[in-house]
Amino acid sequence: MKNGTLFFLGLFASLTVSFAVVLLANHQLGALTPYFDDGEGKAFPDRMPGVAARGQLVYRDLGCASCHTQQVRRPGFGADQTRGWGERQSVARDYIFQPFPQLGAMRIGPDLTNSAGRKPSALDAEDLMNLLYAGQGAMPAHAFLFNQVKVTGEVPAKALKLTGSAAPAAGYAIVPSEQAQTLVAYLLNLNTVYDYPESRPVVQAAAQAEGAHK
Amino acid sequence: MSHDTQEVSANDAHARGPLLLLLGSGLVWLVLSGVLALIASVQLHTPTFLASCAWFTYGHMQALQETAFVYGWLANAGLALGLWVLTRLGGEALRAGNWVTVGALFWNLGVTLALVGIVAGDATGHSLLQLPRYVQPLLLIAYGAIAVAGVLAWSGRRNETSYASQWYVFAALFLFPWLFSVAQLTLFVLPMRGVMQAVIAGWFAQGVFTLWLAPLALAAAYYVVPKVTGRVLPAYQFASLAFWVLIVVGAWTGGRHLIGGPVPAWISSLAIVACSLLVFHYLVVWLNLKGALGHGGAVMKFTAFGLLAYVIGGCADAFTSIRSFAVITQFTYFTQAQQQLALYGGVSMLFFGVLYFAVPRLTGKTWASAALIGGHATTAILGVLLLVISLGVAGWTQGQALLKPAVTFPEIAAATRPWLLLATAAYAVLLVGNLMLVVNFLQTLAAKPTVPAAALFQATSDIKETA
Repeated sequence: MKNGTLFFLGLFASLTVSFAVVLLANHQLGALTPYFDDGEGKAFPDRMPGVAARGQLVYRDLGCASCHTQQVRRPGFGADQTRGWGERQSVARDYIFQPFPQLGAMRIGPDLTNSAGRKPSALDAEDLMNLLYAGQGAMPAHAFLFNQVKVTGEVPAKALKLTGSAAPAAGYAIVPSEQAQTLVAYLLNLNTVYDYPESRPVVQAAAQAEGAHK
Repeated sequence: MSHDTQEVSANDAHARGPLLLLLGSGLVWLVLSGVLALIASVQLHTPTFLASCAWFTYGHMQALQETAFVYGWLANAGLALGLWVLTRLGGEALRAGNWVTVGALFWNLGVTLALVGIVAGDATGHSLLQLPRYVQPLLLIAYGAIAVAGVLAWSGRRNETSYASQWYVFAALFLFPWLFSVAQLTLFVLPMRGVMQAVIAGWFAQGVFTLWLAPLALAAAYYVVPKVTGRVLPAYQFASLAFWVLIVVGAWTGGRHLIGGPVPAWISSLAIVACSLLVFHYLVVWLNLKGALGHGGAVMKFTAFGLLAYVIGGCADAFTSIRSFAVITQFTYFTQAQQQLALYGGVSMLFFGVLYFAVPRLTGKTWASAALIGGHATTAILGVLLLVISLGVAGWTQGQALLKPAVTFPEIAAATRPWLLLATAAYAVLLVGNLMLVVNFLQTLAAKPTVPAAALFQATSDIKETA
C-alpha cells in the first residue's frame, strides 16, 4: 500500500458503502405512514398521550431497557407468543410515533411491548405501582420513585394500598412521585392489539403450521 | 516490513509526555470501570444492592461501566499505543505532541462529564453509545486533536511502503470520527424515525468494535509479535487481504442483533452473511500472529491470549448470528459473554501486551516489579476465562429457559444465580489484577532510572527476562 491517497479513499469508500445498509433501510422504513382502518374509521398506531411520552423518558432515563425488551418476535421464532407477550410480532410501524424506541437487548425481565394489552389480564395501575415500589424477584424495588408523606386528615387518593411489612408507619402514606405516575401511564399505554396487514399473514401461516392453538 | 527501526530511539523520549498522559488516564478509567462492573454484576444476583437511589439503577451502572471501559480505558490506551506504534514505524519523532496533550485532557473531561450525565439519567440507551448527546461533540473534537499526530506520523513516515500495523492504526484513527459524527447526526441532531434508530445504533456499535477498537488492537499485535519473537510473520502476504476484509465487511455485521426484530429481514440476513465472510479475516490474523503462542514472557502471554480470544470471539459471532443459535442466545447474558470476550479478552488483553512492551521504552525504565506483572497476567487470564464461561453458561441457561413458556422469571433468576455469582467473582479477580498494573505503572514512573537507557534496550526481550 504505497499510495496513501488511494488507501485513504478506499477506507472512506468502505465505510460509506456500509452506511448504505442504513440508507436503504431508511428508504424502506423512513416514510412509513400510519395505517388507516376503514372499518374502525381511524388510523393506527395511536400517538402516545403526553403523559405517556413523558413516561417513556423516565423509562429511558432509568435504563429500564437494560432488562426489558420491547420487541416481540414472530411466532415460531422463540416463545414470545406462548409467553403471552403479544399475539403478533412487532413491526416497524408500531414505533413510528415513538421519539425514543426502547427495543432493548436483554430479557432479564419480561418483554413489555404489549404489557397493557396482555390477555387474559394485564397489570393495572395499582399492580404496576406496587411492583415498582416493592420489586419482585429479580426486579429491584424502585422506592425512590415514591414519597412518604405524613397523613393529616384524609389519606391521599393516590397513596399505595400496602399491607404487611411493606406498609408505612402509622400516620404515613406512600404516594407515587410524578415520575412514577408518568412511568405507569407509559406502561399502561404499551399495547399492540391492532393487527397491521404486514403483521397478519406471518401469524396465520405460522399458526397453521403449528396446528393452531386457538 | 519496516519495523527494523533501532531499538533505542530519541523518538520515544519525545513522545513520552503525551502518550503517558493517555495511558495513565486510561488506567484510571480501567480501575473505575472495574469497580462499576463489579457493582452492576452484584445487582444482577442481588437486586436490592444499592436499589434505594435513582443514581445506581442497574441500567445506569451497566451504561457507566461500559462507557468507562470503552471510552475511558480502551480509547485512551488504544490511541496512546496506536500513536506510539505509528511513530516508531514511521521513524520520525511524534509531531503535534501538544495537540495530543490538549486533546487527551479534553477527551478525559468529556468522559468524566459523560459519566456524570449517565448517573443523572442522560444515557442514550444505545449499546456502546451511552454517552449523553451533549458531550459527544466535545469528544469528537478532542479525538480530532489527538488524531492530528497520527495523520502527521502516517504522512511523514520515512519508508513509503507501509506495514500492517500502520494500516490498522490509520484506519482506526480515521474511521472512528466518520462513524461517530454520522451516528450523532442521524441519531440525535436529525434523528431518523422509529426502528431506524436501532439500525443506526447497531451499525455504529459494530463499527466501534470492528473499525476502531479491533484495528487498534491488531496494530499493536502486528507490531509486537515480530519484535519479541524475532521472526518474520508467516503468510504475511495475506495480511492486506485480511485488513480489507475487516474494513469492507466489518460494519455490515451490525444487524445481527436485530434478528427476528421489527426490521426487514434482509438487514439481519446481510449481517449473517457478513459475519461468515469475516471468518476469513480471523483466519489470516491467526496465521500471521500465531507465533505469539508458546513464546515466554508477559508481553507474549497477554498477546497470545488476546489473539486467541479475538479469533474465537469472531468465530463465535459467526456461529451465534445463525438464526437457530440466535433464537437461544439473543437477549441473554450470552451476548454479554460475547461482548466481554471481544472487548476484554481480545482488545484489552492485546493492549496490555503491548503496554508492557511500550512503557519501559517510553519511560526509559524497567518495570518496577516483575512479580506484579506476573500477578496481573495470571489474574487477567483467569478473570477473563471465568467471566466469559460464567456469563456464557448463565446466558445459555437463560436462553433455553426463555424458550419454555412454563418457566417463570423468578425460576430463571434462580437457575442463573450461581453463574452470576461466579461472574461477580471474575470481575473481582480482574479488578485485583488491574490494580496490580496501576501500582506497577505508578512505581515505574516514580522510580529513578538506574541503568542508562541505551543499556536497557540492548536486549529486545527485556520484559521476557523480568517477567
